[in-house]
Amino acid sequence: MGRRPAGALAAPMPSPKRPQRAPALGTAAPGGPQEQRLAHLSETERKAYDAIWRKGDMGMWTADLKAEMGLAGNMPTKIINALKGKGLIKDVVNYRNRGRKMVMAAEFEPNNEISGGSWYVDGDLDVEFISVLRPLCRRAVENGPGGVATLESIASSIRDSRAFKVDCSVQQIGEIMGALVLDGEVLEVTSTGKGEFVGLPPGKKCYRCPREGGGGPKMGAFGSIPCGVCPRIAECTPDGVISPKNCVYYDKWLSSLEF
Amino acid sequence: MVGQQGLNLAVGIITSHFGDVVAKVCSCLLRRGSLSLQEIVRDIGLPPARVKNCLLVLVQHNCVQAYSVPRAVTQYMGLLDNILHRMRFPKFLGILAAEFDDPLCLALVEGLLQHGRLTFEQLVMRATSTKSERTMAIRDSLRGSLDQLIRAHYVERCPKPEPFISATSEDETSTARKRGSKLWTLEQKALAAAALLDAERFSGIGDINGDESNSNQLEEKAKGISASTNIGEKRKHEELEFDRETQAAINENEVLWRANFEKFIHCLKKKACVTSVRTRLSLDAAVVLEAMIESSNHKKAKENLVTSSLDEILEWVMKKPGGRLMTMQHVRTCLEELKCKSSTEDTKALYAIDLGEIVEECRSEEVGSLVLQRYGKDAYRMFRLLVKRCRPVETDNLAEITFVKKKEAPGILYKLWMDNYVHMEIAVAYPGEKRFLWKVNTSTLYEHILNDMYHAAANLSQRIAQNREQQQEIANQPANDIQSKEYDRLKNTRIILETSLLRLDDTLMLFHDF
Repeated sequence: MGRRPAGALAAPMPSPKRPQRAPALGTAAPGGPQEQRLAHLSETERKAYDAIWRKGDMGMWTADLKAEMGLAGNMPTKIINALKGKGLIKDVVNYRNRGRKMVMAAEFEPNNEISGGSWYVDGDLDVEFISVLRPLCRRAVENGPGGVATLESIASSIRDSRAFKVDCSVQQIGEIMGALVLDGEVLEVTSTGKGEFVGLPPGKKCYRCPREGGGGPKMGAFGSIPCGVCPRIAECTPDGVISPKNCVYYDKWLSSLEF
Repeated sequence: MVGQQGLNLAVGIITSHFGDVVAKVCSCLLRRGSLSLQEIVRDIGLPPARVKNCLLVLVQHNCVQAYSVPRAVTQYMGLLDNILHRMRFPKFLGILAAEFDDPLCLALVEGLLQHGRLTFEQLVMRATSTKSERTMAIRDSLRGSLDQLIRAHYVERCPKPEPFISATSEDETSTARKRGSKLWTLEQKALAAAALLDAERFSGIGDINGDESNSNQLEEKAKGISASTNIGEKRKHEELEFDRETQAAINENEVLWRANFEKFIHCLKKKACVTSVRTRLSLDAAVVLEAMIESSNHKKAKENLVTSSLDEILEWVMKKPGGRLMTMQHVRTCLEELKCKSSTEDTKALYAIDLGEIVEECRSEEVGSLVLQRYGKDAYRMFRLLVKRCRPVETDNLAEITFVKKKEAPGILYKLWMDNYVHMEIAVAYPGEKRFLWKVNTSTLYEHILNDMYHAAANLSQRIAQNREQQQEIANQPANDIQSKEYDRLKNTRIILETSLLRLDDTLMLFHDF
């Protein structure tokens, strides 16, 4: 995990590879290195390369290549290996389906639909990057004027902190804030233009931390007793084999709480 | 709708309060619905006289309501909610202690809770039995306190003992139509028929001259007579005096009073809403909400929509310790923070708030906390998103929004689905490609959680009873160091268990009564 060194202040991050548009067919300049490499391809290899190239930044599933060209046996693997050996194509990981082997012409970068966008690296969720960005966003809300911050102010605060080499877009920050709201670490509020919202236009979506410095969900009454989290509650009866009278979860809970 | 575990808990409460035989009768009524005396006797195989006595106990304690239908003998039905309220009596007394300084008020309600329903005379006897002085002064103070409680709706007249339900009386059909409700069950019809009109239900015991309304009527009658004629004035006046005395005697000796659970539950609901606002929003917003609810107290307690004018709110805010420093502008900001709907009526600014929304938020928080405890943080985030979206969301989409690894999301969702926390639908995107869509069906989920909570409450009660027995055993043995330590340990354990049951009961009310 974390092939992208994530955002510690001292650890600058390399720019994420941005998806590129497909270059026009035949961009290989006549007599250029690409053209020379293509000249050495067999007819089948050339056809396979063209099919993969036409798929652009979406890549091609090897099974599709096999079907499209009507290849049998291990021919597709041989062709793919040959093209890879010549540096004309590369493997790409589809973040939605990692088991599906995909190839792409070397000059393309995977589309967001394939790579999963900025939160994914080689098809894996970039947990490290997200875990660094989340507390930064929360801190930006806490430090906002009156403890209230807008999406734009959070994004600019992250930018100013220079925690990452790359810029995090407002949309990216919005996605992180959405997760923080779901976690109950920040609250989504609407500005009234008064009180703590002074200087913010009424109706503007803002964020603020929960009162009393509380963050995250509170422990509910049912969740705090053994029965609330008991996996065997359906089999529990007053005088049965599993019963509150001889419940080990109760004993464990009470011994951990006794004062 | 209360599930099987709710019934088990209710039967457990009756067993611990009135013993096994009464619990047997109660269990039979709760599980089988309305039954006649003969049917109960046939079902549980006890002598009719014994069953009758059990029914009398249950009726006395407001746990059973009798009613009659055409061409059938008297039917009895168990009142599950009233049975469950029995474990809330300490909370009810706590509410009274906070509102009334008068110890007599507390003693009166305590008597009513202990004995179910009593006449004023019985209440007086109960109060004077513990005191040496049997003076008229106590009687008068008790009358005043009872009137105070009735005015505040904490005490009410008991409903009709055996209402008659006609097959399809026009009155009922029109009432049902008026209320826009679906067809009522026989039990619901019986409860509605037994209920008194508010004017009658809360008409006070009054002073020696009878209750207020009756006394007013008699005054008017007297005025009318004096205006029309002077002949026989003295005789008429004597007649009226006689009426008043008779009425007073009826009020004191025959009218049965009981604690109004509806009002107590409303108070607990208010408390829960205010506490929730205090934690989520601010102290001041909680003060304003409390003032708003209290200022609209005279209106229907059952309704969730609380409407109050700004002046009334300000008046009540000033009565609060934390509200004296609040300016009108600050109160307005708090009302906005509470997302109150404002309107104007006769130049008065009115603010309305739906307590149901606050209750719903509390419920959602409670369920969320349960998901967090049982399935972890990723599941919690996914669950909250599904609750927020209120529509089906596809697995991958859900994982992306909540930053959960694609590999792990199906496993988490499967666990939630297996335990009935989420609902799953399969969509076929194209032949051979199935997509799983997930959503939260709150009403089914709440029912399921409520059932589990009743189960947990019954378990806690059982554990408390076991603890009590163990304590008793130790107390009966000769004392030594080890035993006294064990006794203290059991005592501490019981405190934990009882506190947990009190908290769990708050949550039960949140899902069932509020």
